[in-house]
Amino acid sequence: MVLDSVVYGDEKQNRRKARIRFSLVLTMLIIFGLFVVIPFYWMMLTAFKTEAQVLTAPPILWLNPLNWQFSNFATAMDTAPFLRYMGNTVLVSSISTVGTIFTTVFAAFAFARLNFNGRDFLFMILISTMMIPGEIFVITNFLTVVELGWIQNQTYMNAILAMTLPFMTSIFYIFFLRQSFRQIPDELYYAAKVDGTTDLKYLFKIMVPIALPTIITITILNAMGTWNAYIWPRLVTQQQEFRLVSNGLRDAFSNIAGRILYNEQMAAALLVTFPLLVVFLLLKKYIIRGVSRSGIKG
Amino acid sequence: MLEDKSNVKAWFYLGPALFLLSIFIFYPIFNALFLVFLRDYNYLQGTWEGFTLFENFFYVFRNQNFTQALTNTMIITFVSVPISVIIALLISVWLNSVLKLRGFFQTIFFLPYVTNAIAIGMAFAFLFNQNYGLINTMLGWVGLNPVNWVGLGATWGNAMFSLLIYVVWASLAFKIMVFLSGLQNIDKQYYDAARVDSTKRYRIFRRITVPLLSPMIFYITITSFIGAFKAYTQVIGMFGVRLGPPGNDKSLITIVALVYDALDRSGVPGALSEAAATAIVLFLITLVFTLINMQVSKNRVHYSGGGK
Amino acid sequence: MEIRLENLTKVFTNKKTTDTLAVNQLDVTIPSGKLIGLLGPSGCGKSTTLYMISGLLKPSQGSIFFGDDDVTTVPPEERGIGLVFQNYALYPHMTVSQNIMFPLENLKVPKEEALERAQKIADLVGIGELMSRKPAQLSGGQQQRVAIARALVKEPRVLLLDEPLSNLDARLRIQTREEIRRIQRETGITTIFVTHDQEEAMSISDEIILMDFGVKQQMGAPQNVYDEPENLFAAKFLGTPPINLFDGKITAKKIKLGTAVIGSTKAAPNDIVIGIRPEGFVVEEEGPIVADVEFVETIGRDTTLIMIDPTDATKRFRAIVDSDYRIEAGHQVQLSVKPHKMYIFDHETGERL
Ligand SMILES: Nc1ncnc2c1ncn2[C@@H]1O[C@H](COP(=O)(O)OP(=O)(O)OP(=O)(O)O)[C@@H](O)[C@H]1O
Ligand SMILES: [Mg+2]
Repeated sequence: MVLDSVVYGDEKQNRRKARIRFSLVLTMLIIFGLFVVIPFYWMMLTAFKTEAQVLTAPPILWLNPLNWQFSNFATAMDTAPFLRYMGNTVLVSSISTVGTIFTTVFAAFAFARLNFNGRDFLFMILISTMMIPGEIFVITNFLTVVELGWIQNQTYMNAILAMTLPFMTSIFYIFFLRQSFRQIPDELYYAAKVDGTTDLKYLFKIMVPIALPTIITITILNAMGTWNAYIWPRLVTQQQEFRLVSNGLRDAFSNIAGRILYNEQMAAALLVTFPLLVVFLLLKKYIIRGVSRSGIKG
Repeated sequence: MLEDKSNVKAWFYLGPALFLLSIFIFYPIFNALFLVFLRDYNYLQGTWEGFTLFENFFYVFRNQNFTQALTNTMIITFVSVPISVIIALLISVWLNSVLKLRGFFQTIFFLPYVTNAIAIGMAFAFLFNQNYGLINTMLGWVGLNPVNWVGLGATWGNAMFSLLIYVVWASLAFKIMVFLSGLQNIDKQYYDAARVDSTKRYRIFRRITVPLLSPMIFYITITSFIGAFKAYTQVIGMFGVRLGPPGNDKSLITIVALVYDALDRSGVPGALSEAAATAIVLFLITLVFTLINMQVSKNRVHYSGGGK
Repeated sequence: MEIRLENLTKVFTNKKTTDTLAVNQLDVTIPSGKLIGLLGPSGCGKSTTLYMISGLLKPSQGSIFFGDDDVTTVPPEERGIGLVFQNYALYPHMTVSQNIMFPLENLKVPKEEALERAQKIADLVGIGELMSRKPAQLSGGQQQRVAIARALVKEPRVLLLDEPLSNLDARLRIQTREEIRRIQRETGITTIFVTHDQEEAMSISDEIILMDFGVKQQMGAPQNVYDEPENLFAAKFLGTPPINLFDGKITAKKIKLGTAVIGSTKAAPNDIVIGIRPEGFVVEEEGPIVADVEFVETIGRDTTLIMIDPTDATKRFRAIVDSDYRIEAGHQVQLSVKPHKMYIFDHETGERL
């Protein structure tokens, strides 16, 4: 039929168009992909160069793995106790994550499931504080930590407390968890009530497992937040060895007078970045899904 | 039974969170509002010289770095947010349109999210190195002379340009992921319908994708603005605590940096009040722009359909 | 277990809008061991009634008795009820057997016994082979059965089902309702089955309770309610195709449809609504009703006539007659009415006269 052949002709043309479009899109993706990857590549490349190689102009853009200078990492570790910093970071991040999940899960349950006087009002207040920049809190929190005696003659314990306690809860996560709790149909709760399930048991046996993806997301976001934390730890730690990776990294390579040893600096940067990249590649699925969800309102 | 109020129980569940929030969120808000009206508050002695309405705000405005900080913050915000939103939108649409290799590119584009801001800031600083950096090498390939981006005595403009590239780079990942998941939630029916009506590609983008994604674009834009007004760690990452290229210290200072500057002087009478005043000024700026933002997008956001 | 509702009332108070009277002074006795269909249009208060019986909602007024026990204030878990929801409410992260055993866990039944009981009940409802699957891997009908098994496993005194079939396709619905009937017979548990589908209620219930606007309209065996509707609502709600309604009058003990006299009554002169079931017409040469036939449809034994209402030309009515008659569209027919298929109702109150 005439109509058929017209459609068929279109089809052929369409396919060619589609192929051209695909190539264009791919080109753009590759260009932007390079933009994203280059800093990582640059960091790694530099981290394996000798000092002479770093100070070659124009720069060497490819290093044979046989010539990699691994000693940069050893030197970087000598410059500052990075393993110690990483240990601190992991500790601070675990404590604050466990604390955050504990407090937010309970609070979100109350907001999502229980009926109490002033619930909506309280929730509104919480939400409205989310817009206030953190710096407003930091000022007083710093004073509070001083008052608590965690700064003067600081012990390791004091430092850990100062770095974790203020971050053991989060309004955003309460909000985020409440959203996923509310997506669980009411009937599940009714069914459990009819069977004599207590609220606490319902929370842990039904709601938490169902909202597990959200809880994993919170864990990831929180851990990543700690890995990136710079300002607060710098404010409240009094000794070098209590600090977290970001501080260690920044301080170790700011204080050297004169020439910066880029290869060591980049080796240290790579040391700090590497664990995150490994964790990311292992948990890629969860992280991408979780982070996307955290950005979706409501 | 179900409708019964469970007040006691509720407070038990809320207790831990509310306890911490009261100490570390609610009290600080009130305290900041208190500090900002104290004259010459000395926290070491716990004394002050009476109350004042505006004096602490005058300190903020009279700070020699305030104009610079305000300018820098505004430039970072108003350049990096629109650019990164648009690039992220394009990349996510492209990503969504390729089936093969999507997972691979998704991983690539997400990498900047899982890095340490300081570490990558340092890498960027070295990328922009005048003699040994990749950027100048690449400029050389197209016959351009090397530029002193971040080195000794680099101009404010050059340093700011480098910083902006880094800020955009760092803020793409999150936006791309959110947009991509929004795109994947758009009902395929809309596209099929548009195809049947033989709608052109760019029209599909303009008339279907963007409107359906608009609640998400709006939300991301607002939160990005709020985030960008707080720029600080990026500057630290690239330039260290000097907040600028060597020899041009503090040229990239931001408003948040002013807060911490004042906080570092916390022993000096009045410094804490100045910090509080600076933070409140930042809050007011953020608030005004958020409200403007909401007003502007009011008529352009379509809340039905699209991403959940 | 007999269930008695006395003066049961539920008012939802709401800050923003006006109060809703969802259930209004319900007085019902549900005999032990029977399957009762609670039937009514959407929003009439069926779920609310069920939730009050289950103890999830607190009545605003009135009492609920299970046998001789007043359970009005007893919390749900102590009432010994099984509840099945419209959307099944299976726990998505648990397997079928975990779902079924969950109620037993709360009763602290030892693990082995719980497993045994779960398996027994799963076999009863025909899902014994699916025990290790997750709800998402089951068809609608299978999920349904899991929900029933979960409700039955603790051997409840009362089984409550809230529109349990409305998510199933037509064939599965018929099959599953038969299944529910069988399970109810086998277990002998007093069962209340909520539905807004009259055919569903009629086909499996021992008795139906008809509700509208939170008020009980009629209760009785399905056929009785169909044959002897007590009010206009009951007459309208039951029967497919639905009953025909005409505006009529009683004058001098005669029931008049327009000018036609179609019966006699002892009731006082009044404006009335006459309801005649489609199968209540007989084509007769001497029939009092004269109507224009607009459309004829013969399927097998029955002929359906769509005719113009002689009292109001904008309305149509429907008769199902024997296909022996040769009737063509555009012609006139004369009809008489079978007295037991005709009901008259007060025009104002809708009460049967
Ligand atoms: N929690 C509540 N608050 C206020 N009004 C309610 C509430 N629950 C139900 N209602 C109202 O009470 C009335 C009866 O509701 P119910 O859920 O019992 O109806 P139903 O007969 O089960 O309807 P359906 O067949 O649609 O399920 C409705 O008007 C409903 O809007
Ligand atoms: Mg209902």
